[in-house]
Amino acid sequence: MRTMKYVPAAALAVALLGGPAGAQTIKIGVNEPLTGAFAASGTYVVNGAKIAADEINAKGGVLGKKIELVIEDNKSNPTEAAAVAEKLINSDKTPVMMGAWGSSLTLAVMPKLMEYETPMVVETSSSGKITTSGNPYIFRISPPSAVEAVAFRNIVDKLDLKKVDFLVINNDWGRGTAEDFGKMFKEKGISVGLVETMDQGAQDMSAQLAKIKGSDAETVIVTTAVDQLTLIFKQAAALGMKKRIITTGGSQNPDQIIAQAGAAANGTMHLTTFLPWFPEKTPNPEATKYFISEWKKRGFDFAGCTESFRGYDGIRTAAAAIEKAGKAEPAAIKTAMWDIKVKGLNGDIVFRKAGPEGKESGQSQPNVYLIEISDGKIGMKSL
Amino acid sequence: MRSGITILTVAAFASIPLWLRDPYLMNALITTGIFIIAAMSLNLLLGFTGQLSLGHVAFFGIGAYVSALTSLGFDVPLPGDLRIVHDPWPPIAGFALAVVIAGLCGYFVGRLSFRVRGAYFVIVTISFAEVVRLVALNWVELTQGPLALNNISSIALRLPGFGELVLRTKLQNYYLVLAVAVAAYALISRLVKSHFGRAMRGLMENEALATSVGIDVTRTLTLAAVVSAAIAGAAGSLYAHYIRIIDPEVFAFINTVTMVIMVISGGKGSLAGPVVGGLIFGLMPVFLRPIMTPEAQWIAYGGLLIVILFVLPRGIVPSLMQRFAKRRQEVRAVRSVAFSKSSAEEHA
Amino acid sequence: MSEFLQHLVNMLVLGGTYALLGIGLTLIFGIMNVVNFTHGVLYTFGAYIMFIVVNQLGLNFFLALPVAVVAGWLLGAAVELILLRPLRGSDIDTTMLVMIGAWIAMQSGTLWIWGGVAKSVATPFPDEPLVLGSVSVSWLRLFVLAAAALLILATYFLVNRTKLGCAMRATFQDQDTASLMGVNVDLIYTSTFAIGSSLAAAAGALLGPVYVIFPQMGDLAAVKAFAIVILGGLGNITGAVIGGFILALAEELGAGYVSSGYRDAMGFLIIIAVLIFKPTGLFARSERVG
Repeated sequence: MRTMKYVPAAALAVALLGGPAGAQTIKIGVNEPLTGAFAASGTYVVNGAKIAADEINAKGGVLGKKIELVIEDNKSNPTEAAAVAEKLINSDKTPVMMGAWGSSLTLAVMPKLMEYETPMVVETSSSGKITTSGNPYIFRISPPSAVEAVAFRNIVDKLDLKKVDFLVINNDWGRGTAEDFGKMFKEKGISVGLVETMDQGAQDMSAQLAKIKGSDAETVIVTTAVDQLTLIFKQAAALGMKKRIITTGGSQNPDQIIAQAGAAANGTMHLTTFLPWFPEKTPNPEATKYFISEWKKRGFDFAGCTESFRGYDGIRTAAAAIEKAGKAEPAAIKTAMWDIKVKGLNGDIVFRKAGPEGKESGQSQPNVYLIEISDGKIGMKSL
Repeated sequence: MRSGITILTVAAFASIPLWLRDPYLMNALITTGIFIIAAMSLNLLLGFTGQLSLGHVAFFGIGAYVSALTSLGFDVPLPGDLRIVHDPWPPIAGFALAVVIAGLCGYFVGRLSFRVRGAYFVIVTISFAEVVRLVALNWVELTQGPLALNNISSIALRLPGFGELVLRTKLQNYYLVLAVAVAAYALISRLVKSHFGRAMRGLMENEALATSVGIDVTRTLTLAAVVSAAIAGAAGSLYAHYIRIIDPEVFAFINTVTMVIMVISGGKGSLAGPVVGGLIFGLMPVFLRPIMTPEAQWIAYGGLLIVILFVLPRGIVPSLMQRFAKRRQEVRAVRSVAFSKSSAEEHA
Repeated sequence: MSEFLQHLVNMLVLGGTYALLGIGLTLIFGIMNVVNFTHGVLYTFGAYIMFIVVNQLGLNFFLALPVAVVAGWLLGAAVELILLRPLRGSDIDTTMLVMIGAWIAMQSGTLWIWGGVAKSVATPFPDEPLVLGSVSVSWLRLFVLAAAALLILATYFLVNRTKLGCAMRATFQDQDTASLMGVNVDLIYTSTFAIGSSLAAAAGALLGPVYVIFPQMGDLAAVKAFAIVILGGLGNITGAVIGGFILALAEELGAGYVSSGYRDAMGFLIIIAVLIFKPTGLFARSERVG
């Protein structure tokens, strides 16, 4: 019990005195959920980030110094996300951060970025608000649903859709998708039928599926994370619902779906932002191959690649900005973000302006691919 | 003696920003302070009326939403082609409205819930909080649902002659939270020491007996519910204007659990209990972060709770006071014996 | 109409497992007056046991179920002996808070051991559902319904026809008199908590393969269990069974015909309605604990 008293006191002292600002390393803050509802995803992202950091350090680091990831858990809770941002910026003095997974957590951090004028790379959030709220310290590499809808628009003609139902998770991501995709469909003359939602923690979607089964649409767009997708496919099969299913959002983990939903997953199509199964088809094949082999070497679950690559790309983006800026300082890094071009695993990372004039945030446009699961295997949908 | 300690404590807290410069710790203190205010309000119900409300976060969240919506403005379509449009008002008005509306909700919930007691009351309060969360989540036209209300402005005070002071810095927010906390503490303290307070405690001890001597159960409990909810609403408003984004996550059960932990570990029924419990459990993450993995932190959190409850079942403050009181009792016993002796001699 | 029938079928299957959850909690709540926050964790625990036994140890699916029940029984007994017995006689909220602490610690332990990624249990049932007209139901779910029914009957038998059950009912009615009559109240308390926990674990073991398994899965289940207990009346097993089906029905019809976003709100709305109009539960007059 005695030692317990000294350790926090020491930690407090260090925090108070704000220890030496890492003279030998350049710190990058990582604000992710490692416990709580999003623990699985946050852990994938952090593991991807570590691969990037190790790779960069093996090649000599940035500006002659090694980069050090300061990783903190925001407990899937907005108040904690803000607290973690405070710690990373003020105690650890990280000049740039990555985080915070999911729009709710990222939005909570945004006021801190404004207050301390520190940039953050947003690797996984889909709410439109993040880049349209007038926060010039935000640089997002994952696509909001509006961008996804635009990308999908090019493929939609070839799929011959007539009427579409939506089954989305009841949060900003799902609702945003229903709204943005719905708008796009209407412009194309495709009618939109039901828009059903499911609560984030819900496990039984039989009621919604029964409703959709009875509707006259021939396609269902589903937006949610892999756990609920598995349940939906299983329950849809059990109900005998035979419509065409297309999922969106990029959090699908098709390997996990195949493993857990089995035959129920056959025939389903998915809009993804990364193709770990076909590295040659990605914009940066050598980087993809390196990332996947490194991931497997560390013994991680292959299914996690579809989320962890964002952590990998996020850190490489931050490192590139630091290199471009020439110094590890927030203001310089923020300016440098607009000038970088990183060959990301799913497309070039180049930030374009988004949001109100004078206070734009950065948004990059990743590629979007349509894959299909058939016979328990993943294939590119040939159109 | 008691008020001396209170004044000293307040002064100590007021002096903190003068020597603590770390914004990370200041942030932790501010958010902890906000939850302590909510915990104090829960204590009023839990500690002084004996009713265990596990839905308290509903009032906190309602206060947060009311305050945010008042200061942001909204435009809501209603059935029948009606529309309610509200232009943004200053945040301070949001704060006032949050207190009032949360208090009103407290009134209704109080009247309905107090038909039942004990375990049933616990469950109905949990249900109320969940329904409010789902309304906030689904009534997107008003609350933005999961898309969140963001860009909420900080509270601004209009001082005659000084113009407008926007409370944006940590220092200013700290003092704001401290001021509200002190006010809440004072209010609860007055209430508890008044005849309403005695009525509440009478109900807690023995409801049948209390009713038989004329204490109006519904009125007493409802008043407690109103004040409790109003203070929680105030805390919610402070939260909205400090964190500056509100989404239905604010209603998460974990927030209720946090408040309950603060109250019971600190000692329900004691005024200082929530403050002590709040400081310990609110600041614990700060101390655990550097030394443990995230999962281990949670295990330690749960473990510490269990340990405190086993060793000091009545909570930290009452247990300490008990030890303190024992010594005083001995002193008093000696004194009263001496006194009765001397008065006996007088009357003889 | 076919949609309605489909909802009805869904309701039957769901109701059975809800009933299991509710019975376990109503016993604990009714006899021991403990707000058991670990009920959800036991549910989760039962599901993970299935995962370990079937996926990792490779044993037969049907044997795994009794293993989960026994494991739940043991864990429940341990929780009671370590945490609750020393607190016997404390306030309801001290006990409740200890249960909350245990819930946090145990759920974090689950996350620590198995990680947050959802797990799926392999089942021996065919994927193709049984189709009756326009209604489909999976074989797995039929099995779940059958198993739940069996366990409910077993509980009835235990509580109404055995000496232990008689002692439990006596303790529920009047603890002091029961102990005067020679009932070992300590034993009853431990047994009750263990039995209630094993039923929660059974529900988890049955539903784990139907859904997916992850550390927070028990949270929602626990809240629904509370709703069922309120509906049926504290300590009332029949009430809990009926309550389980009513909740499932309200959820299915509510989500199907009112709004899917409010599906999980149904339970809470029911609780509030019942407590406003009939606080002691719908079936307060009928049997208690049996």
